Amino acid sequence: MLRAEPLVKIQLLMLASEAPDAALELARFGVFNPGTFNDQSGSLAALPDLLPDSPAALYREAWLEAESRLSKLLEQCGDSRAIEFPSDAAAPSLIDLQELNGWLKEVWTACLACHESDERLQDEKKHLDALEETLSKLERLNVDLAQLLHSNSLLSVNIGSLPANGLKRVSEALSMTSTLVSQFDHIGDQIFAVIAGPRTRQDEVRGLLAQAGWRELAVPEELRTHPQEARNWLESERKQLEEQSGVECKVIGVLRDQFGPRLQEARLRVALARPLAEAALVGVRGKGGLAALAGWVPRRQVHALRTLLDNRFRGRYLLDVREPSPHEAADVPSLVRYPAWLQPFVPLVKSYGVPRYGEFDPALPFALTYLLLFGAMFGDIGHGGVILLLSLLFARKLGRMALVGAAAGVVSMLFGVLYGSIFGYEDILEPVWLSPLHNPVYVLSVAVGFGVGFIVFTLLVNARNKWVAGHRAEAIFDSTGIAGLVFYLGAAAGLASVAGASIVAGIPQNTAWMVAIVGIIVIAGFKWYEATGGLGERILVTAIETLETGINLFSNTLSFMRVAAFSLNHVALALAIFTLAAGLSVAGHWFTIALGNVVIIVLEGGIVAIQALRLMYYEGFSRFFSGDGVEFVPLRLETQAGKH
Amino acid sequence: MSSYLNTRVSLYSGRLWHAEDFDVLLRASDDEMANTLAERGLLQLAAGFSNPEQPAIGSNDPLSLEQRIIAQTLDETRVLIRPLSGAARNFLIYWTARFEVTNVKTLLRGKMTGERSASLLPRLTPMGSFGRLDHQELTLAEDVSELLRRLEAGPYATIVRQARRAFEQSHDPFHLDAALDRAYYDGLAQRAHSLESCAGPGFRGLMGNLIDRINLVWLLRYRFNYNLPPAQVYFLLVGSRYSLTGARLRELAALGSPEAVLAELPLEWRTRLSGVPDIPGVFSTMDHIAAEHAVKVLRTDAPAITRAFAYLILRERDLRAVRAVLRGRHLGLPVADIRLALQRTPQEVM
Repeated sequence: MLRAEPLVKIQLLMLASEAPDAALELARFGVFNPGTFNDQSGSLAALPDLLPDSPAALYREAWLEAESRLSKLLEQCGDSRAIEFPSDAAAPSLIDLQELNGWLKEVWTACLACHESDERLQDEKKHLDALEETLSKLERLNVDLAQLLHSNSLLSVNIGSLPANGLKRVSEALSMTSTLVSQFDHIGDQIFAVIAGPRTRQDEVRGLLAQAGWRELAVPEELRTHPQEARNWLESERKQLEEQSGVECKVIGVLRDQFGPRLQEARLRVALARPLAEAALVGVRGKGGLAALAGWVPRRQVHALRTLLDNRFRGRYLLDVREPSPHEAADVPSLVRYPAWLQPFVPLVKSYGVPRYGEFDPALPFALTYLLLFGAMFGDIGHGGVILLLSLLFARKLGRMALVGAAAGVVSMLFGVLYGSIFGYEDILEPVWLSPLHNPVYVLSVAVGFGVGFIVFTLLVNARNKWVAGHRAEAIFDSTGIAGLVFYLGAAAGLASVAGASIVAGIPQNTAWMVAIVGIIVIAGFKWYEATGGLGERILVTAIETLETGINLFSNTLSFMRVAAFSLNHVALALAIFTLAAGLSVAGHWFTIALGNVVIIVLEGGIVAIQALRLMYYEGFSRFFSGDGVEFVPLRLETQAGKH
Repeated sequence: MSSYLNTRVSLYSGRLWHAEDFDVLLRASDDEMANTLAERGLLQLAAGFSNPEQPAIGSNDPLSLEQRIIAQTLDETRVLIRPLSGAARNFLIYWTARFEVTNVKTLLRGKMTGERSASLLPRLTPMGSFGRLDHQELTLAEDVSELLRRLEAGPYATIVRQARRAFEQSHDPFHLDAALDRAYYDGLAQRAHSLESCAGPGFRGLMGNLIDRINLVWLLRYRFNYNLPPAQVYFLLVGSRYSLTGARLRELAALGSPEAVLAELPLEWRTRLSGVPDIPGVFSTMDHIAAEHAVKVLRTDAPAITRAFAYLILRERDLRAVRAVLRGRHLGLPVADIRLALQRTPQEVM
């Protein structure tokens, strides 16, 4: 739970014809994370050179196309049932997959034609609506359309629509052909206009209008002579469109009936082909009749993997297993198994980054500290109870995050008991520990003390991470390692002693400062050793980085004062509401109290949740957690069709 | 933040190329090439010569050269954008979007010719953190219509919408390309407009040179190479508020020959363009004028965004020239021919 499971690198050599099935078995195995062939060690060290080809590239290409077409088809059909995998189902070969892809292309092309035709019909309907509106305006204009649109006149007149944002440009361009544009309507992002100009320049105008997205309104002959007949004509056009739309719907329905069963089979085959296609993304090597897969599996699962492969391939494979080498540490994925109760907190950790393989996993301390900080800053039985209640009420909507909310609510209630606070009232319950408002200095001291402890913890974790990663000098001598810790503890004890803190009563002040000086000298020496460049640059770098060490550590510590500040703020906000409510009538009083508590829960609760997260990220994680690890993503069989 | 950006631009401007740097590049052996490029800050291009895993630039993969040049530009733009916010940041981010528009064109052409997605995908320029399109998904569109629909539902809807309508009317790839280019530069000019009040006259000058050059070259090309009617030519140009205003462009589009157009230009350009024989020559001369202005801006205490934009313009000019040298070497052209190309470097990135 505190660190990633030990992994081993495997290279699986097999017959190329069995590669799809091998990948399928690995996906069923559930804990194989595909990897590259970048490291040349182990018994199959020469494998990358011996197998220079990428035999699964075509497989992946066919799968990607098939998967994309299938997704689009399923979107049309609205079929989202889970796929059931028969235990003996085999992955399709490349030829099968290509054939399937070809069939899916045919079906999708047919479906696309229906779909596009349907869209066109919808577009036509919209156009008819616009035309109806437009023609009613033309009627009111009392224009003789027959005369206006007469094809033998010297004047060429067009009625139509174009995008509103292009009107100015079109008008300017058309003015060059002595053509006028007159807008008479604006519907949505389209404007309707009459364009009139000399017929001799109609060719020039036509090219320009095509470029401008002009859409001609086909004004029917009868409309030109008898505008009152427009309604009948429009009605008949609309009926015709509806009939066509019905035909298109039937075509889609027929396609669905005709291809539905095979589409289900296609879903299964595409899903079975996914493992090799996914593995091909990072590297499947091969030559001739041989293929090889590489990747990561948990060390304790190797025996189970061998058994699985033996059962399936009866010795027609070669499996190379080796420990990760130090130089590929950054590429090894991290597989950490969390207990169910901790899992809701994991996304909050991963939004910062994924721990590197071998690094300390911060999820558990994060969960505990986050809740502690939230409770300390928002300690109130009533407010915590509301958060708990809301989390339980909306558990379905919130999913796993409901547990975070509920836990925060409970901790808030516990601190409420310690502070003696319920909905801001401090005189109902006697505090079990103290009231922040009455002991502000003590609360601030506790917050800073907690900060010191937290930073000591992060420095220790960082030193451990560096040591494990093989950066031993950094672990001991750097500002974020043991030397930093020595400096920090010495300086913190010295400052506490100056402030007269009882916790350091037994430590002589001079000893504390000596420890701090030793720490900072070691850090400066290490910075000097690490710095490159000329003498001046090295002095500058050493001085600045050493100074930065002290400033950072203590500014980070002081950041924890906000924990106390927010616990005080919580009480102060409640007092402000009580003061406001005191001057009102009974109804106004209780309304103000209720509204004020809602404001406290929503506004202050939100701020405190963010502040606690900020403290964890910037004062905690940034000190020991690089967050640039690679998540363990095993090959899996997808039971739902979806995007790759 | 502006002092940081100013310092950064000043440091970067030390990497700009001088004529003698191109001489060094022309004389360098293949073994020295990586070092020569790296010394001038072209790490992306240098990597193409030093990484044995990847095909060496200039030897067998001109497309990867193009992609590396863009990667270099994007790397530097990323650094310059970091301290910016608001309109200035939006402007520089949009400035990089022209590479994405080039990707859109590549995708559209690929779909028109029925190219396989696997062969289309490597031809698209990786945009890194500037990328807003899902290349993989777009290459899997069945045809141009589906692709245009998908693009229209994405971040470049404004640019693509007009192009789709134009294409649906004519099914002419030229209309598609021209509409995409125009919509992109219209968007750039709009973003520049909101920035001009705080970025100063230097910025307006840089934008003016850019848009005027584009409009003039497009006007000459559309009018006299493609023989489009004047009204259509005008419609295809970028809306401009600079030296070549809309009214001036309409007058120029109505003229009957390239010489007549050049003779009607502002005096400074007319002088510089006299004797220029062809459209690439016009581009080259105008580009030179723009570069002179950018160098002046870079040396002034103009606002940081203006200096950053001037630097990027000059850097891309350098990169076009470096590309000419590397391509020339790859093709085994005589040094004299490469030098001639260096004087012109007429290809636009977009």
